[in-house]
Amino acid sequence: MQGSPIDIVIFAPLAAILGVLLFWFIQLLFIQCEKYLLSILKHKHESLVRFTNFLGILFQTICHALGYTVTRSGISDVYLSVDYSKVAPKKEKKGMFEWISNVFLFIGPFFIPAVLLLIFLFFLIHNGFEVTTPSQLLEIKYTFSGQIATFGNSLYVFSNSFFTFLFNIDLLHPAHFGFLILMIFMGLGIRPSYFGEKKKEKVDMIYDLRNIWQLVSNKPVYPILLFLIAYVFFYISFYLDQIWYVALFSILGWLSIISITSVFIANLLLLLVKNADEITGRLRYLPYITIPLIYVLMRLLFYYFPSDYTNSVSLLVTILVTCLVVFLLLRKKTNKFKTKKRIKLFKKEKEKNEEEER
Amino acid sequence: MKKKKDEEELLKNERIGKVLSPHPLSFMKYQSLCVFLIVWGMLVAWIIHFSEWRGIFTGNFWIILVFWGFGLLLAGVVASLVTVRWSIFFLYLIVFISGTVIMFWLKIESSIDLFAPAYTVSLSIVGFLMVEWYRRSHKYIISNQRITFKGGIFTKEERTLRYDKIADINAKQGIIGQIFNFGTIIPISQSGFGLGSDESFAAGGVQVGKKNAKLFGMAGGGRGVQTPRARSFYELHGVYPYKEVKRLVEQMVQGSVITPYQEEQVAFQKEQVNLQKQMRDLLKMQAGDNSFNEETGEEEASSQRANRRESARGARRPAGKKPMPDFEEEEEQEKDADDDNVFKPEQADIQKQMKDLLKMQAGPKDEGPDEEEPEDEEPEEHDEEEDKEKS
Repeated sequence: MQGSPIDIVIFAPLAAILGVLLFWFIQLLFIQCEKYLLSILKHKHESLVRFTNFLGILFQTICHALGYTVTRSGISDVYLSVDYSKVAPKKEKKGMFEWISNVFLFIGPFFIPAVLLLIFLFFLIHNGFEVTTPSQLLEIKYTFSGQIATFGNSLYVFSNSFFTFLFNIDLLHPAHFGFLILMIFMGLGIRPSYFGEKKKEKVDMIYDLRNIWQLVSNKPVYPILLFLIAYVFFYISFYLDQIWYVALFSILGWLSIISITSVFIANLLLLLVKNADEITGRLRYLPYITIPLIYVLMRLLFYYFPSDYTNSVSLLVTILVTCLVVFLLLRKKTNKFKTKKRIKLFKKEKEKNEEEER
Repeated sequence: MKKKKDEEELLKNERIGKVLSPHPLSFMKYQSLCVFLIVWGMLVAWIIHFSEWRGIFTGNFWIILVFWGFGLLLAGVVASLVTVRWSIFFLYLIVFISGTVIMFWLKIESSIDLFAPAYTVSLSIVGFLMVEWYRRSHKYIISNQRITFKGGIFTKEERTLRYDKIADINAKQGIIGQIFNFGTIIPISQSGFGLGSDESFAAGGVQVGKKNAKLFGMAGGGRGVQTPRARSFYELHGVYPYKEVKRLVEQMVQGSVITPYQEEQVAFQKEQVNLQKQMRDLLKMQAGDNSFNEETGEEEASSQRANRRESARGARRPAGKKPMPDFEEEEEQEKDADDDNVFKPEQADIQKQMKDLLKMQAGPKDEGPDEEEPEDEEPEEHDEEEDKEKS
């Protein structure tokens, strides 16, 4: 046995829990960025913001209903609209059951959409998504650092497969295209991207953290009980020399990675919308047209001149050309990316044009 | 040009408030049929040419035909069962049969792998264009007097509905409507135009006995539920912005309907006027006999003024608001203080006493029988009590 007893008994089980918490906080920060972008787009794209709100509320409703189903409270009434939802239980259960239902309500929206994507991903195994096995298996150590290393290794293996799939995604494959669309929808709908009409109703990172803290602090017995269960589970894994404990928390880590990536892609799209809005005239639609056009052209090119990197190169060229188009349009049509002298010239030219128009 | 045409159709004193047409996404039930055709066409193309199962389809006309048709018809059956509209199934059946006939007619069976997807996608584009054409044929004109609904591609349908004939307003907004801020408003007329019905039917049969002697029975029943439903050219279908249009229509309907309180007020004012007319006539009669008492005359005149003021206040008062003395009334009371104390609570009693006295004075000149007087008076007394309560 490696490591001191105090490390194994007290600190080792914390490693995986802290790892999951770290990823969850990164996820929260990315979602906060998304919320900021949505708040900028709110006035020009009300429908888009309403759509993201609807997605967020839909996932929350699913989680709430799932919570009542898991605790066998039953569902008597479900109401869902763009800015409000309600799930009423058949039986009002108190104590631990009520607490678990609330855990599903508050924490579920961060993970349940990612669970759906993970399920979709496993349907794509051998259809683009290849599970890579590490060339060298790490020896399991039941110390804090050992557990962190095992947790990290598990995340590395998953991330390797997941990002290889994403960078080689074939957008002309119906299942791959469906996965990307679902991923964007999930990214837009993951809490707390909900954007309320009034300031009081704002649901942000602090709002969610406050809710979760209240849930923990109101009934501290239950979280302590969960901690104890986690510790017992760790001791059993340790006694039987199995990877079960880290594997369980690794799944939560995978979910966080999927969520972060979804939100990142959604953020990129929102950024594109924001930049396209700054371009005046019909040219603002050009970046949206560029994406499918360039991708299809690249695929046609590789159809006649086959290559090993068809998908990834097509994707890369599409992204680069779109960025270039946006950059050039912003440079030409706005003051962005210009020196002072050029801005002055641009202003003069604009004034001239306006005078001529008059 | 269009605006001029609309204005030509206006009635006297009619003004157009809003001219609306359905939102581009409001005919999603038709557009979704076209979306399926596009998706299915592209999916068939991908499966035949690029998927790992492409070997099965290569050069096999019948397999491709069956696969293409099976997908179309299966979707048609599912959609028909879900929406309880078999027209969807027949639509997809027509797409399939017409495609097959064209292929045999042009003798291009060998090119089915290209023709089937291209035909499906091009049909869906035609479908989109037709839906758009149909949508653009709709026009709803909301004026200050009525709502005019127009629609139809070949047969032009038109409905005109006056606000006072609207009995009920049904409004609905789906999820897409909530996201894009459009919705459907169905004004139901007093004759029930705008109401449809959902019919459900259930039947069951039972067979008892063996081969030779069979007993077969069957029982069934149905029921219908009335529900607001109308053709898109008889309702405000998918109008944008939904909330504003709904509020506008509701305001217009509300403005043209007399509420019970307003009716009560009008009746009360009529009674007041009648009463004052009677008093005036009686006073005139007295004046004619030179028996007009100046004191009584002054009091009567002031009470008449007070009545007029009170009735004017009743008419100004908003519906549902209790006639509590407010600052305005107090100010008016101060202004009228030099006349006399006309707002005393005994005002109604005094009026009644005055009337009785005046009647008594004028009594000998009345031609009508005395026996009828109490009958006439009774309802008046009742009215006076009501007036008292109201004031």
